[in-house]
Amino acid sequence: MLSEAVAESSSRRGFLARAGKFLLAVSGTGVVAAALRAQQAEAFHFCGHIYTTGSCPHPTGLPRIDRAGFPLRASDGQPVDDLGRPINSKGQPVDARGHVLLDPDGTPLPSAPRTPICEAAAKAHRFKAYHDGSWYRCCGGHIRRLMDCCGYVRNRINGDAALTGYCYHGRRVFCVMYYDSKIKC
Amino acid sequence: MVGTVRAARHRATARAGFAVALAVGAVAIFGALGLIGELVDPGRWFLIGSAVVAGAAALADLAGLRVRPQLHLQVPEPWRRTMPLPRALFLYGLLLGTGLTTFVPAVAAWALLPLTVAVGLPGAIAIGLSFAAGRAAPVLLVRDEAALAERPHGLRAMRVLAAASLVLALAAGEAQAATKVALRGGDPSAAGTDLVWQQPGVGGVLLRDGGQTQLPGNDPALGGTRIAWHDGDEVTVADSGTLQPVLQLAIPGVEKLAVSDTWFVYRVGLANGKEQLRGFAFADPTRTTTISAALKRGALGRPSLSADTVLYHVAGPAGSALFLFDLATSRRLRLRSSAQSQVLNPDRVGSKLLYVRLSRCDQELRLGPLDGNGAGRVLYKLPPLAGQDAGHEPGHTRQGEHLPCGRPPKPTSRMLWTTALSGTTAYVTVLRPGSGGVMTPSLLAISR
Repeated sequence: MLSEAVAESSSRRGFLARAGKFLLAVSGTGVVAAALRAQQAEAFHFCGHIYTTGSCPHPTGLPRIDRAGFPLRASDGQPVDDLGRPINSKGQPVDARGHVLLDPDGTPLPSAPRTPICEAAAKAHRFKAYHDGSWYRCCGGHIRRLMDCCGYVRNRINGDAALTGYCYHGRRVFCVMYYDSKIKC
Repeated sequence: MVGTVRAARHRATARAGFAVALAVGAVAIFGALGLIGELVDPGRWFLIGSAVVAGAAALADLAGLRVRPQLHLQVPEPWRRTMPLPRALFLYGLLLGTGLTTFVPAVAAWALLPLTVAVGLPGAIAIGLSFAAGRAAPVLLVRDEAALAERPHGLRAMRVLAAASLVLALAAGEAQAATKVALRGGDPSAAGTDLVWQQPGVGGVLLRDGGQTQLPGNDPALGGTRIAWHDGDEVTVADSGTLQPVLQLAIPGVEKLAVSDTWFVYRVGLANGKEQLRGFAFADPTRTTTISAALKRGALGRPSLSADTVLYHVAGPAGSALFLFDLATSRRLRLRSSAQSQVLNPDRVGSKLLYVRLSRCDQELRLGPLDGNGAGRVLYKLPPLAGQDAGHEPGHTRQGEHLPCGRPPKPTSRMLWTTALSGTTAYVTVLRPGSGGVMTPSLLAISR
């Protein structure tokens, strides 16, 4: 719980959340506060994301990444290539048991590209990718780092005007992604 | 309707107009259903369900059961009196062609609707035209409408024909989609009507005039009048007609072969663990030409040879590309490349290029122009190798989610692999998962 408190206190949204709850509590509308809290938690498409910018394109859907920004399968953290196939540490496609996939002669099947998802989004939408700031939340019992994929863009992946979010030097948020740490909270 | 056609002054024109209108009506309605199928992509289970419904309908027609549901509607009779007959017949044809606006003659007609959605385009157009032909035939061929109405056997025979054509259509559709050439076989090579492939654990197989011949070696290749195989490091090049050896030599580490009348090309495993493509002319087997750089094992594809040109793929973490190497000039040309998808295992006949394209949302066997102008067409398709999640976490909304594939993919562990192309047929190896990660091949033939 300490980590959650640290995480919340370290972000402006955490502050706003607490301030909002305080005002509601003062006005004696605790029930409404609870309802708002629940609504807020479920309002966006993954835990910790409390704004409207869409996910970065990811081979399997939810924009879960490793520390270096490469795609991981959200359900189990398995590294995947750009085709969405599970791969090993060498980038080779593997089966469900982790065996390297081999052709009938025993030669490994060719590895497919694996692109950091912010870079892939930047390439597809023609801008230079930047990783600026992050924010942290407690999700599923672990600290989750939520990251903005930033660039000098006018529009975000949703198609409408991009927001500043945690991007610096005039850059704006194109899409969002997250990294699930192993730190319990 | 028979009477209306016969009453027309210019009977041939009236018949032609009626038949054309039937075709137009049928193509419009079945084409629309096919288009829905293309857009919605109802999936494998819908296709299976449609086939089951079609089978049940065929049985119902064979058994002569009552057609249910039935439409108790007729074409508007006043048109015959208020319009010129050719125009009325044309409009009647349009109505009858839709199959949904008048009396339904057979249960098979109902079964065609979901089947058309499942088949998509262009199969739906073919179904529509077949339906129009089936509807037009009795009107155009029967001389006495009353005789047909009074003889239930005639109507029964028509229903049996409808059922039989439905079953044939199902069988033909399946047969045209892909024919399994070898249950356990892969790495095909074709020349004319001859086909060779490798059967794991057994060796090379030659298919000629419907008969299979076991070859005395592995990884066979055909080209021009030559056939080649290897037994370990011992390579044999033979006359493809007689299978009599014309050249035998040892190539340490030889793995995959390609042959033409003038050239021999092979992939060789090097002592450092890498692989390379090399070749030589039969005119001077001692002079080896290096075709590709030495690459990490698995990155370099199987070569295919057409006259003086070698085709091969290079695939790895940086992307994949199809190359053409001209042995006569030593010039290399990149035919296709992709930084996200995988383009693999090319083969060519003339100006046509056959290759496999694995992308995030499907696997395709594509036949396109060698020069890359135009997308070409998809000869065969499999679902992608990976699925996708919901795009949002449980308990959260869909706002902001971004899914890789427009339609939820139904992933498969089968994978398109090596190819071969002849004048009439495309061949592709389909790999299935096996024990320890080793894939098991089967060989499909698809009509070009």
